[in-house]
Amino acid sequence: MNRLLHPGHLEDWRKRLIDETSPVRRTIVVTAGTCGRASGALEIRDALQAEIDRLGAGDNVGLLVTGCHGFCEMEPSVIVQPEGIFYGKLKPEDAPAIVKQTALAGKVVERLALEIPGTERRAAKLEQIPFYRKQMRLVSENNFRVDPERIEDYIRLGGYHGLLRGLYDMTADGVIEEIRASGLRGRGGAGFPTALKWDLCRRSSGHPKYVVCNADEGDPGAYMDRSLLEGNPHAVIEGLIIGAYAIGASEGFVYVRGEYPLAVRNVERAIGQARECGLLGKAILGSEFSFDLHVVEGAGAFVSGEETAMMASIEGRKAFPRPRPPYPAEAGLWGKPTNINNVETWATVPIILDRGSAWFASIGTEKSKGTKIFSLVGQVRNTGLVEVPMGVTLREIVEEIGGGVPEGRKLKAVQTGGPSGGCIPAASADLVIDYETLAKAGSIMGSGGMIVLDDRTCMVDLARYYLHFLEEESCGKCAPCRVGTRQMSELLRKMTAGKADESDLRRLEQLAQTVKTASLCGLGQTAANPVLSTLAHFRSEYEAHIREKRCPARVCREIISSPCQYACPIGQEASTYIALVAAGRIKEAYEVIVKDNPLPSICGRACDHPCEIACKAGESGEPISIRAIKRYVCDRAAAEGWDQEVRGDKDRVPRDRENVAIIGGGPAGLTAAYDLAEKGFRPTVFEALPVAGGMLAAGIPNHRLPKTIIAAEVEAIRKAGVEIRTGVRVGRDVTIEGLKTDGFKAFFLATGAWKSMRLNVPGEESKGVLQSLPYLKAVNLGEPVNIGPRVIVVGGGNSAIDAARAAVRDPNVKSVTILYRRTRAEMPAFPEEVEAAIDEGIDLKLLAAPVKILAKNGKVAGALCLKMKLGDKDAGGRRKPVPVEGSDYKVEAETVILAVGERSDTSCLTEKDGVAVSASGSVIADPETKATSVPGVFAGGDVVTGPASVIEAMAAGRRAAAMIECYLEGRPLLPEYKLTRPSLYIEAVALTPEEAVSAARPPMPHLAPAKRAKNFKEVELGLKEKAALGEARRCLRCDLETEDGRRAIKALKLKSGGRP
Amino acid sequence: MERDWKAELDDLLKDAGSRPRDTIPVLHQIQEHFDHIPPAALPFIARRLRVSESELFGVLSFYRAFTLKPKGKHTITVCLGTACHVRGSERIAEELETVLGVSAGDTTADGLFTLETVNCLGCCAIGPVMVVDGVTHARTSPQTARDLVENIRTGEKKS
Repeated sequence: MNRLLHPGHLEDWRKRLIDETSPVRRTIVVTAGTCGRASGALEIRDALQAEIDRLGAGDNVGLLVTGCHGFCEMEPSVIVQPEGIFYGKLKPEDAPAIVKQTALAGKVVERLALEIPGTERRAAKLEQIPFYRKQMRLVSENNFRVDPERIEDYIRLGGYHGLLRGLYDMTADGVIEEIRASGLRGRGGAGFPTALKWDLCRRSSGHPKYVVCNADEGDPGAYMDRSLLEGNPHAVIEGLIIGAYAIGASEGFVYVRGEYPLAVRNVERAIGQARECGLLGKAILGSEFSFDLHVVEGAGAFVSGEETAMMASIEGRKAFPRPRPPYPAEAGLWGKPTNINNVETWATVPIILDRGSAWFASIGTEKSKGTKIFSLVGQVRNTGLVEVPMGVTLREIVEEIGGGVPEGRKLKAVQTGGPSGGCIPAASADLVIDYETLAKAGSIMGSGGMIVLDDRTCMVDLARYYLHFLEEESCGKCAPCRVGTRQMSELLRKMTAGKADESDLRRLEQLAQTVKTASLCGLGQTAANPVLSTLAHFRSEYEAHIREKRCPARVCREIISSPCQYACPIGQEASTYIALVAAGRIKEAYEVIVKDNPLPSICGRACDHPCEIACKAGESGEPISIRAIKRYVCDRAAAEGWDQEVRGDKDRVPRDRENVAIIGGGPAGLTAAYDLAEKGFRPTVFEALPVAGGMLAAGIPNHRLPKTIIAAEVEAIRKAGVEIRTGVRVGRDVTIEGLKTDGFKAFFLATGAWKSMRLNVPGEESKGVLQSLPYLKAVNLGEPVNIGPRVIVVGGGNSAIDAARAAVRDPNVKSVTILYRRTRAEMPAFPEEVEAAIDEGIDLKLLAAPVKILAKNGKVAGALCLKMKLGDKDAGGRRKPVPVEGSDYKVEAETVILAVGERSDTSCLTEKDGVAVSASGSVIADPETKATSVPGVFAGGDVVTGPASVIEAMAAGRRAAAMIECYLEGRPLLPEYKLTRPSLYIEAVALTPEEAVSAARPPMPHLAPAKRAKNFKEVELGLKEKAALGEARRCLRCDLETEDGRRAIKALKLKSGGRP
Repeated sequence: MERDWKAELDDLLKDAGSRPRDTIPVLHQIQEHFDHIPPAALPFIARRLRVSESELFGVLSFYRAFTLKPKGKHTITVCLGTACHVRGSERIAEELETVLGVSAGDTTADGLFTLETVNCLGCCAIGPVMVVDGVTHARTSPQTARDLVENIRTGEKKS
């Protein structure tokens, strides 16, 4: 290695290195930082080298192994230079194509190019890739270009030139002046001006002086310092030498976290090389300045990152912080003046000296100059390290560079600055990033950690996470931090377990203030920030945990217990009855079902099963077929006569309480009535139609939900003490006023959403245009309707599919066509229903929008349609259909059935009743208490929400019943919220090894299409015993994952004499 | 015969410093060599560094990197950093606790595994991350964690 004894030697060496570099046509750069290596970068390197050797292409193709390129999501990756062609997520078998096609022929391997989300394009060039395009890489640029093991690479690219300029062209004061003019501020925390810090230390009396590089990057979620030390250690070393020269320090330390072994190795090696070359040690580059540098490896204590603690650690003591002043500039290491900056700050210094302060100061905002590296991690598509000029917006970083949150999620907040920082809510995403604005938003720049949080991140859990971290990392020296973080952590644990009350929230806030005010060091003073910041922006989430025992993001396990039970609006204990089915205890399973559900067989067929959507098994495979299991249990109960036995006569409840009128006999009304009867009230259901069941009876055809099933469940409800008067239309036959005089003390409005919406196209008034609900009602009530022979159904919801499948069963109908303006993926109907419709010969025309109903002599002749394509996303995140110009075509038909939506039906109300109705025609009711504007009148289900699901309507009915009880007892309307827990714990079954590997969701047996033609027999036949039990055994039993669950299972095992 | 800690340590630490400020580097070296700090060696280490034994004990018990108990044959470290946390690393740690039957920080009875957690490995973009015997594994899940343990167990049975 060269010894540089004279300033000219550096330039000589650089020139020689350039001359000696054999010119290759292209270089394949392999990124091999810790992330790259963990993802297999070295295997890629070996495969590329083998291919180069095999082809004897070494003279034309170079291979360079560098540190991290920042796009960690895509690791392992390579860049082929000089074109800058990027390939990510590589496998060793991709090596031949990269060498042959790209490195030798300069062509892009299309299949390896990056897909650009939301488009059909692929991109390979760095300047086309959104992740790189928006970045401005100054400090991290050499991570692309140098082999961190070779000082020669750094020198060849002009390394140590800044040092040369400092040593020979400037005085020490001049260097400080240059840094001052650049506007550089510390990159590790609060952004203290670097020149000011240096100047203080320089002017401080005391000898010797020290410089320290803080590479104890302890903020979880930030790793730019690791990347710089791993990928470009000489830049940090050069910065330290320049700083030491300016300050007058003779010795320096790089304090690196022990958790970063590759960084320790690379920086130690680089220091050795610099020393050997005469860049460290005596008379650096032939000048009078001497300086040496040592690595101190941290030993796993977060507090070491605090500067006074770090100095104690370097001295060989416990990393205890001490009060400041005196500041390190006056009394630091061994009581001598010491200057501490972090890695990124030191690595920026040589660039400023090399290119000049004026250039540097031209980048950024008024008070924040230059660039900053952020680690963009968490729930974001493109995770990695990004370097941007100060002054870009948070949205640019997250959305444009980061590609936004994963598909289907919503950005909630961005956490910046680590545990000492705070959360910036999505609403503030247009915030300009610099020190001042971040501070104003209640966060800090910190070292640049940027953790993206989406709707599946629970903010209370996040605060608990940070406080747990801080509790463990508190050094223990001062009581406010030691005891305060523990107390806060404990309170947050209580909240995330659903066990906290309002007083805990007050205590938490008080503690946060105390810890903030009274702690000794910066860590303690900011330890409450995760609490204060999440409380400031997401207080409602805390309140949901505390008051409602709900975790909106569905993260907190002690609150959720089983996601299926948690997600069910009426809290059906799916995991309990599934466990009983798995154990073959079917009758007990039935008892568990009917305990919470007065319409079990109906739900077993027509529920939209939010439980299955929440099911954990669905995250790594298919969710448990919960609805089918429920139906199996109910069918079995009916066959065995258990339903009579279990639900039986409910006269045991004395029925001596007030009369309550339920208006509407759908799922909401029936559930409310049943619950009220159970509480001893005398409920009467007023139903306008000749049958009870509401939409269940009149909206859903028999082939999907047999009338006999509905009749049986209505009968059970009647038996429980509910009077049902069918054929009575409130608002016409009787009025609420009248019912009051008849002795009804409270009312529940549950009249549903029966008003059909129009399509608003010409020709809609023609004869032969029907609305789906009146059509289905007629079919279901056995009234004659003349349709066909050719039928068009417009819409993509369940109502459209029901109408189409009912129409295809009409003897006069020859063909049925469904027109839907989006694609199948966007159809709101159950996928299995769409599948069944196609099986029955219904023609599904997608991306088709009728723009006119064609008519002849006032009678329908067909529809004029436009082809659509999917455009940009609308506010709800669904891609909007846009018409394709000139694509119109005709579909001929004699009947058009419109199923494009329904609205609430409030015809039961008269003006005298005084119940407030919204502009869109829905009854206004409090979502929690179901109370309307009139005391004693409650409302729920579709009449309030617009068309929703059976189970949501039932939940509204259940809540209304509870609130009506409060009302009639003269108590305030306060819903009782309980933690989700099963009523009993069942041991989990042990799967056989074959089951563990091959168990899958069983297909639902169907009536063969030929057997269902032109009749309304039930199509789904229900699971057979073996399939149902097998499916139940597949359940992951999340209910056993809570502390209660674990304890219960331990007790069960002890009782049965097994191993605990 | 009594172990000659002084000679053993002098040999191991022949290139290391002997001032109080060398305490942490010296402890690192001993920890790496023995996979723990042998309690019996403490008096000798203290004498060498010219610190009191209680001071030495204070320092080594303060830092998480140093342990007085020997480690298992294989060390599994689960990262619990924020980025890993929001991607579910706590479940992975719990899965390993179940599979190995020990709490984080402990070693299995057969001496095969030590389970550790760490607050951030700085591999935040590829989380959840775990390190098995010095090798970093990216994008792990409870399932991959279980598989890794099974693979090691199978390998151990064979050999």
